[in-house]
Amino acid sequence: MQSGQMQAITGKELEYIVDSISNEDLLIKQCAATAAVTQNPAIQQALQQYIRSMDHHLDMLVQSLQQHQQLAPTQPQQ
Amino acid sequence: MYYQNQNQSAFMQEEDLLYTILADLKRTVREYTTAATESSCPMVRQMFSQLNNDTLRLQGELYNLMKQNNMYSTSGKALRQDLDKQIQDARNTQQQCRQFVQQKTSGMSPYAHAPNVPLHQQNNQNPYYM
Repeated sequence: MQSGQMQAITGKELEYIVDSISNEDLLIKQCAATAAVTQNPAIQQALQQYIRSMDHHLDMLVQSLQQHQQLAPTQPQQ
Repeated sequence: MYYQNQNQSAFMQEEDLLYTILADLKRTVREYTTAATESSCPMVRQMFSQLNNDTLRLQGELYNLMKQNNMYSTSGKALRQDLDKQIQDARNTQQQCRQFVQQKTSGMSPYAHAPNVPLHQQNNQNPYYM
């Protein structure tokens, strides 16, 4: 990502990032719970791969919050 | 339905668990699309767009896996007569849309001359080639 494009995020963007973290978290837990009970090795393997992808998504979302941390104003603005 | 096989102690059947994941993947894809379209920061938009593509890929993979294992039944095939009707309607829509555009834009550039052939003749002859 190019740092030149970085802007302070809006309240709406923050909400979407937080909701997305919640979505990915739920998906990871569902995949893990299903992988634990499935008898089908192909499905188990696929679910484990999905968990890795979703874990990477979580990383991206958390990193984007961290990257915008310093740009965020400390006082409410117009 | 949940307790019909021997695995009676399971929280839910495997098929239902996978279906729930598939449904949540679909919902998450939609939410990433909405988030991308409503992002102001280019970096945030790019991230949501990337997450959208990747989640759409995961959803497609899981769908294929479920289909291969006979866990997902698609709806019945669309009938030929329904397709024929929709194609005819779509052609009419397309033609009216182009006429509308023609009316609105005909005076906009020196290249916008009145056509010397009937409008959209070629499309009626060969609708599959655009």
